[in-house]
Amino acid sequence: MSTVGGSARLLLLLPTRTYRTEDFVDAARTLGVDLVCASEKPSTLEALAPDGLLTLDFADPERAAAAVADWSKARPLAAVVGVDDVTAAAAAAIAARLGLRASAPAAVAAARDKFQMRQCLAAAGVPVPRFRRIALADNPVLAARGVEFPCVLKPLSLSASRGVIRANTIEQFVVAFERIAALLVRDDVTVSGDAARYLLAEEYVPGLEVALEGLLIRGRLHVLALFDKPDPLEGPFFEETIYVTPSRLPDAVQRAIAATTTAACAALGLTEGPVHAELRVNDDGPWVLEIAARSIGGLCSRTLRFGTGMTLEEIILRHALGWSIASLERERPAAGVMMIPIPRAGVLRTVHGLDEASATRHVEDVVISAHAGQELIPLPEGWQYLGFIFARTERPADVEDALRIAHSRLRFVID
Amino acid sequence: MSEAATPDLKSRVQDLIDTMINPAVAGHGGFVELIDVQDNRVYLTMGGGCQGCGAADVTLKAGIERLIKEELPEVTEVLDTTDHSQGTNPYYTAGKS
Repeated sequence: MSTVGGSARLLLLLPTRTYRTEDFVDAARTLGVDLVCASEKPSTLEALAPDGLLTLDFADPERAAAAVADWSKARPLAAVVGVDDVTAAAAAAIAARLGLRASAPAAVAAARDKFQMRQCLAAAGVPVPRFRRIALADNPVLAARGVEFPCVLKPLSLSASRGVIRANTIEQFVVAFERIAALLVRDDVTVSGDAARYLLAEEYVPGLEVALEGLLIRGRLHVLALFDKPDPLEGPFFEETIYVTPSRLPDAVQRAIAATTTAACAALGLTEGPVHAELRVNDDGPWVLEIAARSIGGLCSRTLRFGTGMTLEEIILRHALGWSIASLERERPAAGVMMIPIPRAGVLRTVHGLDEASATRHVEDVVISAHAGQELIPLPEGWQYLGFIFARTERPADVEDALRIAHSRLRFVID
Repeated sequence: MSEAATPDLKSRVQDLIDTMINPAVAGHGGFVELIDVQDNRVYLTMGGGCQGCGAADVTLKAGIERLIKEELPEVTEVLDTTDHSQGTNPYYTAGKS
């Protein structure tokens, strides 16, 4: 039986360094499921609590699936959920092996590889920037002669704009190329296969950028939220800062964004679970930049509440478990988050102004997730934020203003 | 009105923390301190490498709580009262994903 004392047994795949742990664990607690957590490194308590803790090689989905199939013989699972790009692939493989609800592993793998993704989307007629995959072993000067400028270079598999660099000239292309090559061999980057051997160069698409948060149920995309990104993302790096929902774009544009994302999901073969899509919108319509088989990253999901207060993570877990979901409608007030960018490299000493920032009108919470003494690495090599500011009120413009005011009240001492 | 735990339950929780949990989490430079047991709910704080650790919730819910409930079935919940924002040496630091 996949229940324990009446509780469904749920496996969460939680990398040790994800921001998503607290919100998913809280959701599991709210739903009263029997929670099993797997990470890529062993927990200190795994030997004492083998029914609740597992170590899995997320980088090898088939191996992870085999390990879970063996483990679950005596402890059947009702659902498995991954929380980021890497664990989504492992979760899909596990779900396929055990007959649980998820998109097909090949579809999730295609979404994970930016080159494969663009190939699938382009073949299906979904608008994507013109792209080329370039081997890191190639001569960058020669490679640069084959692209149009401005262009954007990016790794095949990293997320959250890590390693994404705009180049307007051959000289900038070469610098970006070498910077990405160096990034991919850093100790804190885990890539293998094509992701370690290639990068992607693609046309720079001007326009407004939005993020769509959705849930696929039996192949149908339900749009949970559409976020505007009011700060211009024009490079040379593409640091994400403010997300505000609902979008202030005209309804027709929002419908076009949803239709394009639906087409992208179909092209990839994604059918079940959360999707997070990034699109650019200009006079030619929406362009898909990324589509991932996971939910929004960081702590950003805290902006979202559904129905009578359900969190995004509760919805995702309920869907995976096959439980009913009372409402997928986001609450009416506007909401937003600022991912506090790292202004420069150094060591964080302290943060001033937290009380003043928290007291800003319409601000709900300010979370400083970096700790004193932490080494800070800005984009494009970095992978962390200083923290998150959350605001909520009736109008999107007021949410955006509140986030900017609160941020201006924070002072970070970095040596 | 909440009921204080019998000395027996509190001391049994303390014993579990001392003999099983703390020796294990010490491997990551962490420790757990029992604050109180009330109405069969265990309140604790996490320090050292556990304070501010990105995996602290996993350690708590899938490790510590499960272990305590298995050994002491009368315990209904284990609650973390730690201010994780004050952790200065977390074993795992959260990053983008």
